[in-house]
Amino acid sequence: MADYWQTMILPMLEGAKMTVLLFIIAILVSIPLGFLLTLAVKSRIKPLSWLANTYIYVMRGTPLLLQLLLICFGLPMVPVIGEYLVLDRFVAACLGFILNYAAYFAEIFRGGLLAIDKGQYEAAQVLGLSKWQTTTRIILPQMFRVALPALSNESVTLIKDTALLYAVAVPELLHFAQTAVNRDFTIVPFFIAGAIYLVMTLVLTVFFKWLEKRFKFE
Amino acid sequence: MALLEVSNLKKSFGKLEVLKTITLNVEKNDVVAVIGPSGSGKSTMLRSLIHLEEINGGSICVDGDYLVQNGAYAKQQDIKKITAKMGMVFQHFNLFPHLTVQQNLEIAPGLLKTESSDAIKKRCQDLLQKIGLADKAQAYPANLSGGQKQRVAIARALMMNPQILLFDEPTSALDPELTGEVLKVMKDLAEDQMTMIVVTHEMGFAREVANKVVFMDGGDIIEANHPEAFFTNPQHERTKAFLQRNLK
Repeated sequence: MADYWQTMILPMLEGAKMTVLLFIIAILVSIPLGFLLTLAVKSRIKPLSWLANTYIYVMRGTPLLLQLLLICFGLPMVPVIGEYLVLDRFVAACLGFILNYAAYFAEIFRGGLLAIDKGQYEAAQVLGLSKWQTTTRIILPQMFRVALPALSNESVTLIKDTALLYAVAVPELLHFAQTAVNRDFTIVPFFIAGAIYLVMTLVLTVFFKWLEKRFKFE
Repeated sequence: MALLEVSNLKKSFGKLEVLKTITLNVEKNDVVAVIGPSGSGKSTMLRSLIHLEEINGGSICVDGDYLVQNGAYAKQQDIKKITAKMGMVFQHFNLFPHLTVQQNLEIAPGLLKTESSDAIKKRCQDLLQKIGLADKAQAYPANLSGGQKQRVAIARALMMNPQILLFDEPTSALDPELTGEVLKVMKDLAEDQMTMIVVTHEMGFAREVANKVVFMDGGDIIEANHPEAFFTNPQHERTKAFLQRNLK
């Protein structure tokens, strides 16, 4: 019996490792990328701003699943260059998540910037701070603080969205759960998978709560 | 030559002419109170002096250097040097909420390296002592009262050693019982010979502390005089009407 549990749970934990790995890569790259997108949107160079806005519109306006399928299965079908676009499934999935989530993070940061009073910029200006100093020392810390709850929310969504890897056949948590369900004709693996997702989101929620407390400025 | 010379300053927002032809001289150690009804252009005038507003014509000369001469602005790096001779205190304090009181005071001199860090720390302590908030050095602005915030904002402006301190309605956002502590700090500054231009609705302050009162209405300076003469014997009809409404 103990053996059975091992053969069921060990692959699922292995799959969870994949989920966590994807989450870490996606969040570490898409947050800075999202911030650069925010800067591009706010740029005075009109074509750049226009391009960034279009990018965000397309990425938020189409299903993530469609984007993943396109990157994994669509790119290799492009004429002529297609054969060079066959990516490792996991790499392709990371790319998809990064490109998609950067658009959401860009909007979150834009919201954070909107919340900052123009008096903050004026105070920095009359004190003689440069544009760069104002951005890095005055604006960014406040923007980050305002954006935290939304960032937390989006991160939890990202954890759950990793289940979409199932559709592009990257063996992650849900994939192993499904395999066990089919093989052993029991729904227990689904509940175990659910519990593992809950543990991951709990860790994340606690982490963000701690961050919010840490950056309360009171 | 006056410390601050403003001549024929003009400013429009689109078609709306906010400042018509403002001419004003401020001598060293002057405390100038600028009063007038809302929408008269007081704040815009003050903000123009420190380049928070771009003007459309006229000249602003600070301590011999032209910020604007006949509508033409100085070069970018000169603008920075010239505006650095002035400090500004805002109606809504505009403290940096993510920094402690001490960090609020030290950030600008620290980043601009105006002095050694020891000297900055020392002056920060002295100024906090002076405004009576030495015990709040590690507090965040969110934990201060309005009056305390404004006193910190004044100290922050003083950290940069300005020759002229500009106040944009410094007590208008405060509960009435908190204006006193801020006005007291301003009065102390006046006694220390600080040159100040104060846009205010506090007639008492204008009368007691200022040595010059400027009355603005409709984008123009209507009348400027010593407080005693200004309040007891106003010359202009509009001044009389304004004072009648505001002195009771």
